Amino acid sequence: MLFRRAGLLAAGLFAFSATAFAADPIKVGVTIAQSPPGSVSQGTQVKDGLEVAAKMINDAGGVDGRKIELIFEDTQGIPEKARAAVEKLITRDQVVAVTGEHQSSAALAGIEVAHRYHIPYINTNGWSDVIREKGYPEVFNPGNYNSRVAIAVADTMKSLGAKNVVAFCENTDYGVGLAKLIGVQIGERAKDINYKYETLDRASKDFLPAILPLKANPPDVVVEIMLPPAAYILINQLNEQGVAPTKKTLIYDASGIADYPDFWKNVSDSAVGMLVFGLYHPKMPLPELGKKIAAAYVAKTKGDPNRLLFQAADSLYLIAEAIKVGKSTKPDDMIKALENIKWTGTRGEITFSHEKSGFKYHQWLDVPYVTFQITKVNEPVADMKLVQEPGKPLDPSKLEKTK
Amino acid sequence: MLTLDLLINGLIIGVFYALMAIGLSLIFGILKVVNFAHGEFYMVGAYAYTLSALALGISPWIALPFALLVGLLLGLVVERLLMRPLYSGYTSWGVMRDEYAVIVTFALSIFLINIVDKVVGPYAFKGPALIGISRITIGPIAISGHRLIAAIVAIVVIIAVALIIRYSFWGRQIQAVSQNRLGASLAGIDTAKASAIVFSLAGGLAAVSGALLANIFNPTPDVGVFPAIKSYVIVVLGGMGSVPGSIVASLVLGVLESFGGVYISYQYRDTFGLFILILFLLFRPQGLFGEKAREV
Repeated sequence: MLFRRAGLLAAGLFAFSATAFAADPIKVGVTIAQSPPGSVSQGTQVKDGLEVAAKMINDAGGVDGRKIELIFEDTQGIPEKARAAVEKLITRDQVVAVTGEHQSSAALAGIEVAHRYHIPYINTNGWSDVIREKGYPEVFNPGNYNSRVAIAVADTMKSLGAKNVVAFCENTDYGVGLAKLIGVQIGERAKDINYKYETLDRASKDFLPAILPLKANPPDVVVEIMLPPAAYILINQLNEQGVAPTKKTLIYDASGIADYPDFWKNVSDSAVGMLVFGLYHPKMPLPELGKKIAAAYVAKTKGDPNRLLFQAADSLYLIAEAIKVGKSTKPDDMIKALENIKWTGTRGEITFSHEKSGFKYHQWLDVPYVTFQITKVNEPVADMKLVQEPGKPLDPSKLEKTK
Repeated sequence: MLTLDLLINGLIIGVFYALMAIGLSLIFGILKVVNFAHGEFYMVGAYAYTLSALALGISPWIALPFALLVGLLLGLVVERLLMRPLYSGYTSWGVMRDEYAVIVTFALSIFLINIVDKVVGPYAFKGPALIGISRITIGPIAISGHRLIAAIVAIVVIIAVALIIRYSFWGRQIQAVSQNRLGASLAGIDTAKASAIVFSLAGGLAAVSGALLANIFNPTPDVGVFPAIKSYVIVVLGGMGSVPGSIVASLVLGVLESFGGVYISYQYRDTFGLFILILFLLFRPQGLFGEKAREV
């Protein structure tokens, strides 16, 4: 009798604890820049996107009855801090996956730790191809990648009929990596274009010594490969010296900064006429989930949707989907589920390439992009002129001439 | 034309460096300590100028003296609360003096960056221009109207400070304290007051420098880090505590960076000053205008 009671008690306790575990939230680690020198604009947009997605998932009953809990760490965009943040998230917070990273240098540091602990890492916005070239099975890339931008830039320069192109890139893995790739793609796609790039320190403030030599012989296009605030300062100083934008010289923003919340507070009329590589434009078609995320974001922030919102939401939904499909939060099950996933996210149907060499590994290859032109001061992204639609070449006849 | 462009840009940047470095040099001259929070005085000035002009809608020409006032007050408060223990009644701290100064100014630097980051936010703000002309063309030279006016204002401020230090009653007392603190004290000079004036003045100069550059360098909470590093280099190059030395070294560094950025490599632009610094420390450690040593 005594044994029977003890057995029932033990079974009851086990059942209770199992229920309690089942109700425990699923912890997801997030590394973003919430203070300088990292891009806080990007960090905030990613944070908003993840919070909107987490709320939508949780409001819909969570993942197999468990809520998603986001644990944020500030990396300041600094690799050492990103490495420490991922270490802390995995070892102390026991997260099932890490996501949110939006700067390549920080992502490159973070994936080393995720790889060591064999924890899934969804790279939200690290564009550097090197992240993919590492070939880590834990790392998945639903965001944009440098090779795609490089191809877009080369095609755009060709469509514009440019002869001389100068790029200014920041001294990071992302910046230098993209500048070099643009050179490779221009070499392959538009051999008659004379291309060169200059590396600028993103912490620096005075770029005139790099800009002044262009005054004597301005290029046809200046490609800007920097993140704010350095990108804003560069654009202003190009305008200050009369180098670009002018009738002769266009600015092409390869970093897609025109939808940042502080963009117009920092550039004023210097950006009018600028061409922008965009991963989101309100005129792009969105799947149903994208429309819902956009509506939830507008309700939460009263701001306009942006590309990082969608990338962040996709990152979190992919983690949730991997747990659902893999029926587990164990790394191997989640990784296997992600490798075979075919899921329609906020921007289209996402699948990850299995090609192990180069930038394609675990990359969603068909990330949609557009090109638009800024036509006046304080112009919202929705009103910026779409000059290249997804999957089509840029149409130069749509461009407005710079005054 | 490029040479002239580079020379003018280098001299203008040098003038802004000088505005920062003079304050640091004065503090070293009086207190014989390095203020590691000097860059944050610059940052506070940049924010005071930008936010007062943008949020309150006041004219940039009123926001500029407002930024100066904020810098002066911040310098004064910091001196009274944090620096006074260095020389006022804390004799037992004698051996700890340098450590105290390093730790307290470092802590102040981190505190100010973080408080602005949390209160104002981490986003960049472009300060308003002092004049509405976006570009002034003089022959082959194009320069932004704000940059030109800001440089002229900076030159006026530097001349005014130099005259005050050289000819005014308090300026002479500051010179005396700088030369020999104990001797000045024995001669009846209020050395504590001289120190307070110098710290306040240094805060004001750094704040004006930040305000003048707010339109060009879009302030963020960490905007003062770079100019502060340049200032440390300049103070050593010019001779620790030498105001004329700081001015000359600032102009030399500005021009050197401007030309080196084009003719050597832009990537190494910020290392030129450090390279020259190493050479000076090896072959002329007293700097351009400094003294080898003084014993009393």
